[in-house]
Amino acid sequence: MADESAATPKRDPIKNPVGSTAAQKRKQNAVSVGKERREALFRTKRLCRAGVSTDTDIPIDDNDMMIEEEQSILESQTTSAVQELNLAITFQGKGAVQKKVNALRELRRLLSKSEFPPIETAIKSGAIPLLAQCLSFGSQHEQLLEAAWCLTNIAAGKPEETRALLPALPLLIAHIGEKSSVPVAEQCAWAIGNVAGEGDELRQILISQGALLPLAKMMLPNKGSTVRTAAWALSNLIKGPDPKAATELIKVDGVVEAILRHFRKSDDELATEIAWVVVYLSALSTVATSVLVKTDVLQLLVERLASSNSLQLLIPVLRSLGNLIAGDAYTTNAILVPGHEITDNIIRALSKCLNSEHRVLKKEAAWVLSNIAAGSVSHKQLIYKSEAVPLLLQLLLTAPFDIKKEVAYVVGNLCVAPSEGSGRSTLIFDHLVSFVRSGCVRGFIDLVRSADIEAARLGLQFLELVLRGMPNGEGQKLVEREDGIDAMERFQFHENEDLRIMANQLVDKYFGEDYGIDE
Amino acid sequence: MMMVDNHLQTQTQLQSEFQCWYPVLRRFGPDDPFFASGNIERELLAKQIALELTEEEKQALRNFEDDYREVFCPIVGCEATLRSLTEFEDHYNARHTSSCSVCSRVYPTSRLLSIHVSEAHDSFFQAKAARGYPMYECLVEGCGEKLKSYKSRHQHLMDKHNFPSTYEFFKKTRLSKKGRVKKNQRKQKHMAVDNNEKEKEEEESSGMEVEEETLDGIISGVSKLTTSDSSPSVISFGRRHTRGLTFVPRAVQRDTKK
Repeated sequence: MADESAATPKRDPIKNPVGSTAAQKRKQNAVSVGKERREALFRTKRLCRAGVSTDTDIPIDDNDMMIEEEQSILESQTTSAVQELNLAITFQGKGAVQKKVNALRELRRLLSKSEFPPIETAIKSGAIPLLAQCLSFGSQHEQLLEAAWCLTNIAAGKPEETRALLPALPLLIAHIGEKSSVPVAEQCAWAIGNVAGEGDELRQILISQGALLPLAKMMLPNKGSTVRTAAWALSNLIKGPDPKAATELIKVDGVVEAILRHFRKSDDELATEIAWVVVYLSALSTVATSVLVKTDVLQLLVERLASSNSLQLLIPVLRSLGNLIAGDAYTTNAILVPGHEITDNIIRALSKCLNSEHRVLKKEAAWVLSNIAAGSVSHKQLIYKSEAVPLLLQLLLTAPFDIKKEVAYVVGNLCVAPSEGSGRSTLIFDHLVSFVRSGCVRGFIDLVRSADIEAARLGLQFLELVLRGMPNGEGQKLVEREDGIDAMERFQFHENEDLRIMANQLVDKYFGEDYGIDE
Repeated sequence: MMMVDNHLQTQTQLQSEFQCWYPVLRRFGPDDPFFASGNIERELLAKQIALELTEEEKQALRNFEDDYREVFCPIVGCEATLRSLTEFEDHYNARHTSSCSVCSRVYPTSRLLSIHVSEAHDSFFQAKAARGYPMYECLVEGCGEKLKSYKSRHQHLMDKHNFPSTYEFFKKTRLSKKGRVKKNQRKQKHMAVDNNEKEKEEEESSGMEVEEETLDGIISGVSKLTTSDSSPSVISFGRRHTRGLTFVPRAVQRDTKK
């Protein structure tokens, strides 16, 4: 996680004029580098380029970050640096410690310079066993810090590069204990976060080596970049697919209280990382979900959702709410009861998200609403009367496909009462008629035409409601006017048998031989 | 008869088993593609300062993930793979909407369209069929079988190619209200004049009501429907408001999953 707050004047590489042409060149290359860069960018691993921010006395030479060097030069320098380190480690005489620190520092600089550090070269030159040696107990604080930093960046690379850290893992875990100095612990947590971000196999290894508990404890203090780094590393560690780690985490003493405290008081950046932890807790562990919903967390999440404007924070907050609602009916039945203030607040906050310019917020807010709309009739009435409805109708007609689909779920759920048994669903006529007369049918017919099976099914199911529920054949006329018959007839030649049958059933029943004759 | 039973059963099925809308809680695992764009956004935002991503770069990266979403054309027999839903729409409009220049019915492949044109609009076809030649091609490409009537071809599709009878989708054309009224009147008239002959014809071409009339009949029918008072022997292109499909799809065999 890069140091985003320029706490000390030294740390402000972005304003460095020397670097600007290099940065431009990098940007130009960016689009052409394409696939490799994209993969690197989308990884849940983070390069440490400016060090951990606390009271470290490590000097950072800002110029280094910006000078563009030929990859091959960088690589040969790296090889030399590793050789130097090797010599420094075996050296026994006076100033041995300083020699080691210097060698480590040089390697660290080379590994922090560019977006694509010479990781492969470092590994091939044998850096990892040396770095592991530098992590031995009793080593000097600076030595530990530099070594951990090097390992952090090596672990930020490709899968096989991250896996190369295996020998060093137990040592990294050992140094995130309470006895370590804070920056060292944080740097080790960062390295562990990168390793955990690689994949399930490494996660399992880290968990079996006991990484969870010490990381969890690092989340308990009130503030500091350490708490943030630990939370991020934890989110990588518990992200599954095995829910065990998430379930373990929620049981650690103090974790729940810390989560609530951070949501209440912390700044956006810290709250963001904590929210991601809650995202994974609620997505994976039913135990965690049931624990969380019985606390104030929903209230706090709704407050954050309503008040924040930081996209970074809104995404995990919204998703946590979504997971908590989807994961446990208790949420909708006992907490988000119509009439409670929190219910009004959440609908308002979700409407704010629907109105946002960010696609992710619109889509996931619609998803959350669709789940609330799947609740009782009074839930549906509440949403129906809210400011969400005009936004939903607008989105249904004009939004990109994936958002449209989610909105379709909301609208449909609002028109159908919870089912008593099997058979035809019970319509909520007022809602259906109002939506249809506001022009929503076209949006559903768009879904019927798409290649997405789920969307097409949704569209056909809603058309059935319209055809069945609208009075005086209004439904049929409307569907015909919007080219709905044509859209349904497409399924005659569609691969999916369910959809074929559904479309046939509708056309046969509502547009059969007698259609229109009696007018 | 076997066929009647099937038909009855399917009728009941058709009437009672539509899978209605049913509100449920929808939950997604953390790695579900549903969350992919949010996850990408997280990483982009976290790295934007360290890597000095510009807004344009970020947008390009987001679009890349969004747009590249493989879509397989769902029309039976078409094996096209498209790279996005928009591309699919273009593909569908280009490839699967061949329409008959006579009656504007739309077919998803040119082969089916040409079969339709022969069977519905070609009087030579009608003539040969009337004389007992097997003219009705099997709709499954590569089968090559020809049958003597529409109904026997349908039977062949069910027997040899496992077409369910729900497939036998007798699409009536959806004429305008005026057209429907007139059609009904015509039907009454014809039935009064020549009951037996009409019934026989109807039996053979049930569902393809265009076959009830000869080409001349179509022309005169068109003239009654158009509002212009130009010469009635002109068949105007695309006069239909809506379209109907009378054919079963050409392949529902071993390779389709369901």
